[in-house]
Amino acid sequence: MIATPDLIESLAANMKPVRRLRPPVTRAACWLLLAALVVALLAVSQGIRPDLAQRLHDPAFAGGMAGAALTGVLAAIAAFLVSLPDRSRLWLILPTPAVAIWLSNIGYQCLAQWISMGPNGVSLGETIRCLATLVLTSLPLSLAMLVMLRYAAPLRPTSVTFMGSLSVAAITATALSLFHAGDATLMIIMFNVGTAAMFVGLGSLFGRRMLEWMGPRSDIRN
Amino acid sequence: MTGRSGGPPQLRLVGSEGDAAPAVPELTRRDTDWAILMAHAQDGDRSAYQRLLREITPYLRSLAARRHRDPSDVEDAVQDILLTVHAIRHTFDPTRPFGPWLVTIANRRFIDRLRRQGRRRNRETPLMPEHETFAEPQSNLEETPDRHELEKAIDKLPPMQRKAIRLLRLNEMSLKEASTASGMSIASLKINMHRAVKSLRKILGDRSEP
Repeated sequence: MIATPDLIESLAANMKPVRRLRPPVTRAACWLLLAALVVALLAVSQGIRPDLAQRLHDPAFAGGMAGAALTGVLAAIAAFLVSLPDRSRLWLILPTPAVAIWLSNIGYQCLAQWISMGPNGVSLGETIRCLATLVLTSLPLSLAMLVMLRYAAPLRPTSVTFMGSLSVAAITATALSLFHAGDATLMIIMFNVGTAAMFVGLGSLFGRRMLEWMGPRSDIRN
Repeated sequence: MTGRSGGPPQLRLVGSEGDAAPAVPELTRRDTDWAILMAHAQDGDRSAYQRLLREITPYLRSLAARRHRDPSDVEDAVQDILLTVHAIRHTFDPTRPFGPWLVTIANRRFIDRLRRQGRRRNRETPLMPEHETFAEPQSNLEETPDRHELEKAIDKLPPMQRKAIRLLRLNEMSLKEASTASGMSIASLKINMHRAVKSLRKILGDRSEP
């Protein structure tokens, strides 16, 4: 083991000037801009669903979508705030109201559809295209967030990955309901919930390890 | 930056999730000093950085001493925190107090360390002193009964023989040293030693020779 005074000497000797991080809300806004860009590009390439304007008049659908989008924004802000050591962990509850709106609307839609259609509402029609949207939205966003929050690895990896995954999941769900018609089917609704559960689950399983792998090495030389 | 040294209320040395330290003015002043030093360090001032690390080390050590008992664990934890502070020094915002920033990092590192130690303790057994073997007869417990028996046998010997065997064998003196210590001649010591060994063999049942 190296003696502590020697460690301090070598850390000071190898120190380089660093650029301070921008305020967390600014950085969250940058990330959300990227998310908007990804969704816009997908809208150009895949085309918005034809009946969007009509569906938006349905309060349950509009509420669910607004809830999902709001969850994405608030969870991203919470992730960037909680990643800093001197911010309170209470920021973790910031997206709760939006999550409540989102999930309750999905639940309501689910129930209403079930009553009107019965179990036949489940169809496999658009599954593959939905999957493509899912991967195309979530992959770049997850990677970008991983890079932007890599310094949180030695601090609060679990909370940060949880919030990040929630944000990515909510934005992906918004994209899914923007592009894919037939949320009349239970399938899409299930997709909403399934995506969220999958991202949050994957995030808590692998996020910590990924963050540690990408995170700053506690190295004297760096 | 220096305008903040007046001690506005937001300068406190209380971790957002850590143990609260008493917010006395001395700590507030120190917090401001550290924030200024860190701001200089971020801009590339090496001597400020070195001073900062030296000044926070005793404070970190006192925090670590609350969590770890072993002094080497304390020192390891302190170095772990110093390396983490170094790796993420760009996350410090000089407009915010330094204390909470440092205390949160320290607490996270302590918790990670304790968890790691807990996992290790579950599957490993440390090598304790009692697992080791020493050449010294005192540390080999199995020989103690023999030793008691031998002591008793020696006590039964005539005084001259007892003295010879004690000085020459148990105290491991040379013949010359034993002679000056006891006042007996070397020849007499030799004879008494020889007789003592013979009598001991008789008493202990002669286990060494067939």
